[in-house]
Amino acid sequence: MSPAAPTRRDEAWRYSDIVAVAAAWPLPAPESIIVPASGNFARTIVQDSGTIHQLDIAIGKGATAAIHVLNTGGEYGRVELNVTLHQGADFKLGAVQIGGGSQTLEVVTTVTHAEPGATSSQIVRSVLAGTATGTYLGKVAVARDAQQTDSVQSVKAMLLDRSATANAKPELEIYADDVKCAHGCAIGELDPMGLFYLQARGIAPAEAKKLMLQAFVAGVFEDAADEEMLTETALKKLGELV
Amino acid sequence: MLQITNLHANVGDKPILKGLTLSLNAGEIHAIMGPNGAGKSTLGYVLSGRPGYEVTEGSVTFNGQDLLALEPHERAAAGLFLGFQYPVEIPGVSNVQFLREALNAQRKYRGEAPLSGGEFLKVAREQAGALGMDMDMLKRPVNVGFSGGEKKRNEMVQMGIIDPALAILDETDSGLDIDALRTVGDGINRIMRKPDKAVLLITHYQRLLDYVKPDFVHVLDGGRITRTGGAELALELERDGYKELAA
Amino acid sequence: MTNDIEIKDKAAWDAAEKVADYEHGWSSDIETDFAPKGLNEDTVRFISAKKNEPEWMLEWRLKAFAMWKTMEAPDWAKLNVPPIDYQDAYYYAAPKAKPKLSSLDEVDPEILRVYEKLGIPIAEQKLLAGVEGGEVGGLPQRRVAVDAVFDSVSVATTFRAELERAGVIFRSISEAIKEYPDLVRKYLGKIVPMHDNYFATLNCAVFSDGTFVYIPEGVRCPMELSTYFRINAENTGQFERTLIVADKGSYVSYLEGCTAPMRDENQLHAAVVELVALDDAEIKYSTVQNWYPGDAEGKGGIYNFVTKRALCQGRNSKVSWTQVETGSAVTWKYPSCVLNGENSVGEFYSVAVTNNYQQADTGTKMIHNGKGSRSTIVSKGISAGHSNNTYRGLVRVAPNAEGVRNFTQCDSLLLGSLSGAHTVPYIEVRNPSAQIEHEATTSKISDDQMFYAMARGLNAEEAVALIVNGFAKEVLQQLPMEFAVEAQKLLGISLEGSVG
Repeated sequence: MSPAAPTRRDEAWRYSDIVAVAAAWPLPAPESIIVPASGNFARTIVQDSGTIHQLDIAIGKGATAAIHVLNTGGEYGRVELNVTLHQGADFKLGAVQIGGGSQTLEVVTTVTHAEPGATSSQIVRSVLAGTATGTYLGKVAVARDAQQTDSVQSVKAMLLDRSATANAKPELEIYADDVKCAHGCAIGELDPMGLFYLQARGIAPAEAKKLMLQAFVAGVFEDAADEEMLTETALKKLGELV
Repeated sequence: MLQITNLHANVGDKPILKGLTLSLNAGEIHAIMGPNGAGKSTLGYVLSGRPGYEVTEGSVTFNGQDLLALEPHERAAAGLFLGFQYPVEIPGVSNVQFLREALNAQRKYRGEAPLSGGEFLKVAREQAGALGMDMDMLKRPVNVGFSGGEKKRNEMVQMGIIDPALAILDETDSGLDIDALRTVGDGINRIMRKPDKAVLLITHYQRLLDYVKPDFVHVLDGGRITRTGGAELALELERDGYKELAA
Repeated sequence: MTNDIEIKDKAAWDAAEKVADYEHGWSSDIETDFAPKGLNEDTVRFISAKKNEPEWMLEWRLKAFAMWKTMEAPDWAKLNVPPIDYQDAYYYAAPKAKPKLSSLDEVDPEILRVYEKLGIPIAEQKLLAGVEGGEVGGLPQRRVAVDAVFDSVSVATTFRAELERAGVIFRSISEAIKEYPDLVRKYLGKIVPMHDNYFATLNCAVFSDGTFVYIPEGVRCPMELSTYFRINAENTGQFERTLIVADKGSYVSYLEGCTAPMRDENQLHAAVVELVALDDAEIKYSTVQNWYPGDAEGKGGIYNFVTKRALCQGRNSKVSWTQVETGSAVTWKYPSCVLNGENSVGEFYSVAVTNNYQQADTGTKMIHNGKGSRSTIVSKGISAGHSNNTYRGLVRVAPNAEGVRNFTQCDSLLLGSLSGAHTVPYIEVRNPSAQIEHEATTSKISDDQMFYAMARGLNAEEAVALIVNGFAKEVLQQLPMEFAVEAQKLLGISLEGSVG
């Protein structure tokens, strides 16, 4: 028997579209991915139809995993990653969420550094218009004795309209002392001086906005096998919002 | 080409320009000089339409068109170029992409066909070369990590590529060493000293005027033009200072 | 005469020289008047009657007690607290025999000795001894009015007359309820509502005493106001209640400091502090918390569940919280600002040190409802031994709040590989013009830093004290000078035994 559908009191679902979650409940078991020692794994997830993706990823000794996410579609879209890093493993996440209308989009990650010497990097960029909600819940957990952990989270969100919502919770849970863990989070609007500079060179306001937003998400898909497709799809969606 | 009549403008609630009148004809280079806080930069921003700079009185026509009725990008397409005193950094957008989009947006506005990637790169390479700027810098994000001098040089490359009818250059000489000053001065002469173009140089010092000889020099003080003369006026200002002149 | 810098250095040296035993771990011998053990409606009535409270206050307490019985303790904090037996504690203890006193001279000498031993800053001791206008540390002496809370009853206030000339009301809350019922009723429970949380509701029902401050319009309070808290009686729950109202254009700086003697049983503390700042008013609230943290094995120590909240109601109002938390076995505390006023400002500066088996879950909430409101959060967490130290914070921007700014910096320092350092920031933004920035880092003291300091002649503990003080400097700078010295000392003392 599967447990009851989550409520807002459940931390991992606190900003979710609870009605949509209940409709999708019970969820199938998460996809389980095991990257063997020294292996390399890469996956691109394009969420464009309002679905819930759940992945459990165990990254073996010295192995790497790179996940690229473009979360844009449907009323409620969620990409949830549960990652465990073993010794010397590396995890990279590059995620872009672009939402308008009344969409609710979220990226939820738990990255556990279970053993020493592993590295993880998460870059998440959200662009939200209308009354859309974009959320990043990201927990980095460093186990006791997982020394020489190096972890970074970079979270930025851009709101295009009043009453669009950006939520972020970049969380650290650290039980080892010789670690480098940092996160940065910034939420704001497009730099007005930058917009003026572009316009003073002849670029119309909507185009200038689009260009700035493109810059905002630039780099997230670097090194992805599908970089071009992801960038193009992201730009198309951005174009619809401005 | 440009006719400014009795221009009053506020920044926020504060009046900065208080009845400025100035007229530029094609083929002329004008310099506007004046003490800090006289309203020099405000004039550049008002003419290019920066939000927050509010015209309360007066008019500006540009080639017979009401300039103040246009959006900033429409003013650019109409042929007005503002060289920024502090060029803005735009992370993630390359110079090349930025300029190509800007140029083609202007061409489209004027009903001209867009330049292809190849055509554009040719122009860009020419202009960058003439101003001694590395092509690598053109591929880098706009002004990000550029030194003060590199930013000013980049403004000139942009001016060369866009090829405007009227350039308003706000303190383009600040932050330049002597070699860069000469390069920038040569660039202004090469790109803008033509019978169908005009330049408004906004500057605090006369040193740029050693390289770009103005036809007219105006003193802007307290939000209005207080004196107008030829190139010799700049030398006089340099010698006696603004205070002396005001007295 | 010593200068400021020398005092600070001396403090660091003193800190490093302390032995591992808890400095304030002794209990003084004063007769205590207890309420019967346990918690029921009769306890509430007993407390209210003991204080000769008006009927409305008793009703308010009873309402809260009824509410509390239906509530559950919050479980979301990263704290591991054994179930608390609320029936196995006393809810009222007053120093016996002495009626209300008008000056500290009349206070039981035993109590004064307690304060002396606690190291109340010299400047204040001089003041308490009646030496006015002296100079300390080469600087003109600041003056501090003290409202001493000894166990549950406020025993004395000083400088009352001068404050009254300025129109400042500085009273124990029990007195204020009787003397200024309208003022108290207007604000009590309005910033932290009765139903706010389990511990706040409990406080409403059984609060013992605390402080009431009112600064009238346009008045800059002529001296810093201070309350020393001290839990002294065995098995006594301490339920402080503080209410500070800063009327238009006024300013007050308030200092709260506390220590507690060593006891085996865990002692519960659930304070509520409410601040209100009206147009152009400013409140600066500084805390040094050094209650008994339990022993090296994690036995004993204070359970500290505090609800502190400020309402920046007026335009351009400002509230600044500064806290140095070194004590208590368990700390659950989130001094917050509700920024309703246009261009209002909220600040939170915090140093939290945990050692041995201490647990701290502390942070702030900045709720931006007012246009142009700004907030700054600087949190420095230091974890040693087997302790756990969590920063938990919320920055929220309402849809109509244009031009909001927040900057948050959360840094954690880990000493030794057995402790935990956690950061849980919530950021919720609904207005595009907001600029919210959050940065967090985690680090340890590097071997290079230690070696460098030791090569200059410091021993390991001195070196740690020095480096930790540097790490916390941004926050310590916010404290009034005497407090800063005491706080620096505390950081060193709290971390004793954390390096080998």
